[in-house]
Amino acid sequence: MPPLRPNSGCGMLNLYLFQILNGLGLGMIYFLISVGLTIIFGLLNFVNFAHGGFFMLGCYLCYALLQLTGQFWLTLLLGPLIVAALAWVMEKTLIRRIYHLPHTFHILVTVGVALILQESAIIVWGPIGKSIPIPEALQGVVIMGKFAYPKYRLFLILFSAAIGFILWLLLERTRFGALVRAGSESTEMVSLLGTNIYKLFSLTFALGVGLAGLAGVLSGPIRGAQPFMGPEVLGIAFVVVVIGGMGSFLGALVGGLLIGLVQSLMTTIWPEGASLMIYGAMAAVILLRPYGLFGRA
Amino acid sequence: MKRRSFLKSGLAATSLLAAPSMLKPAFAAAPVTIHGLKSMSGAFASYGQFAEMGSKLAVQDFGPLLGAKPEYVTIDTEGNPGKAVRKVQEAIQGGAKFFDGCTLSSTALAVGKEVAKGGGVFMTPAGADEITGTECNASTFRWTVPTYGAIQETVRPLFKAEPKKKKWYTITPQYVFGDALLTAAKDVFKDLGIEHVGNSYHSTQEQEFSGYLTNAMAAQPDVLLILNFGGQASNCLRQAISFGLKKQMTILIAWTAGLDWFQSLGPDLLEGVYLGAQYWHQVDNPTNNALVKRVKEVYGITANYPLAADYIGTKVILEAIKKAGSTDGKAVAKAMEGMSYDGPTGKEMIRAQDHQVIKDYYLLKGKAKSEMKDADDYATLISSGQSFPQGDKIACKMV
Repeated sequence: MPPLRPNSGCGMLNLYLFQILNGLGLGMIYFLISVGLTIIFGLLNFVNFAHGGFFMLGCYLCYALLQLTGQFWLTLLLGPLIVAALAWVMEKTLIRRIYHLPHTFHILVTVGVALILQESAIIVWGPIGKSIPIPEALQGVVIMGKFAYPKYRLFLILFSAAIGFILWLLLERTRFGALVRAGSESTEMVSLLGTNIYKLFSLTFALGVGLAGLAGVLSGPIRGAQPFMGPEVLGIAFVVVVIGGMGSFLGALVGGLLIGLVQSLMTTIWPEGASLMIYGAMAAVILLRPYGLFGRA
Repeated sequence: MKRRSFLKSGLAATSLLAAPSMLKPAFAAAPVTIHGLKSMSGAFASYGQFAEMGSKLAVQDFGPLLGAKPEYVTIDTEGNPGKAVRKVQEAIQGGAKFFDGCTLSSTALAVGKEVAKGGGVFMTPAGADEITGTECNASTFRWTVPTYGAIQETVRPLFKAEPKKKKWYTITPQYVFGDALLTAAKDVFKDLGIEHVGNSYHSTQEQEFSGYLTNAMAAQPDVLLILNFGGQASNCLRQAISFGLKKQMTILIAWTAGLDWFQSLGPDLLEGVYLGAQYWHQVDNPTNNALVKRVKEVYGITANYPLAADYIGTKVILEAIKKAGSTDGKAVAKAMEGMSYDGPTGKEMIRAQDHQVIKDYYLLKGKAKSEMKDADDYATLISSGQSFPQGDKIACKMV
């Protein structure tokens, strides 16, 4: 069988199909990165600029815990829990004090937190990045015709989908989810109905940041851990949240997938503009729907 | 009032009498100061810290110069051309003349112009061809091999080692540095009869390479030539390996950051990958062996590229001041032109025409973890050589 060339019709079709698979994989990672940000904004009306910093912390915890335990699955459990615990403490001691202030203060404080996280990572792990091995069970590729797709990325798609489903169940089918959704409509009303709204805030903040930590742990084997990766990740998360609509869970999923697909397909159609088109897609969505695909005024 | 005037004049007289003894140290050889332009903070802090070690060591180990021990001051460029230029301007106003460093090409180009205006001397390890090409100037010197040599000394020896691999694919960052490497690569491909089966440009912010690697897979090349640098090269290589490309094709990264970059990736990723390098600590020559030994003694680490580059850059300036016997910028620059010396890559020479240091560039190949003799024995030296544009192809028109 002659090799498939990209300039043959069949070769091109396969290439685009493969890029769609790539885009799905990327999109699910973007969903995981941004869903925590959107949940926090939805309930707390709080803009967390330290989200990328917590993602970075997740990456470094992936590295450190793997060094310590050698067990990826344990790392996958502990890493996000540690990040969430840190967020919980931070919410109790710092974040809670600034909820009532305008968004500019949220940005000022959380940018400060992001810088502290970044510099702490440099102090603890040094300025040079760290590589994180792919867990043994997920090493290798799945051959698809002339292409190969990493098993780890397939795992990421499935795992992220499972996390998305669990989150959906949590937000849509549990009392906690009902309170979060009600709280995002009117915190005063929920509070008046006898719910400890501050506890709800702490848990939601820890959940949202813990999800950033989870995305960091999962991305570690693909991206490695770098002290300066936070701002870039934060940028992507904001694009996804703006496209999907601030505070919308479904928006984070659709926004993430849209961005992943656009980026992946554009690497074949117009490679030099692939990153640019992420922002192009965002601009187009804002023009058509100023509050995002699933956002509300 | 009279009493006060008397006291004032008395003090003035005493000062005048004491003046010769006070002025003596000022006339007796003010120490020469080298200003190190290092990215001590910001995204390139890892590079700057090693670079500073190199410059400090060069000054520390240099004997008396023009009658006094030379001194060293670090200027943190913060990896930002604007801030670097402002700090250099301030330093020049304060009398600074001799500068070494700058990680980023954009910073080096901007700083070079300022130092030239101030009539000083600036030695840099930055990569852009323009530094000793179209934007060369009388004050700026560059230690690193530019893109032309980096491609010549990696693509040619790799093709010689694996002549059956005739189909090459390139992944290129879309800015001046990447384009210069790509143009140089295309010229060598043409010369060697290599088929260039495709190129993927990517932006300078890109960290996700799965799409570009898919394009490469579709073109089914024998060799994947990666032309990006630093963190982008790390992610590109890491993702290429996870996509199984190492088993399907040979991978060459034409311009790596050397040992500290290898340390961040580890042997599992580097095994079997061809790597271009400006410096390698295992190169066997007396100067390099002495440098590696000294760095181990002083800092307890193995000498790497930023450290070696800024060590030799600083040392060359000091040697030139000694040769010129003066701290006059023009005289020192003149002394540097055509200067030959033993450097960490062997015999090195500063070409007068464009202020480019003529030195070796290396092709390395990543070792398996089981083959490593020590913690930093990441690669085997495959070849070394010197390739620089000659004659009409030298773009520098020195004014």
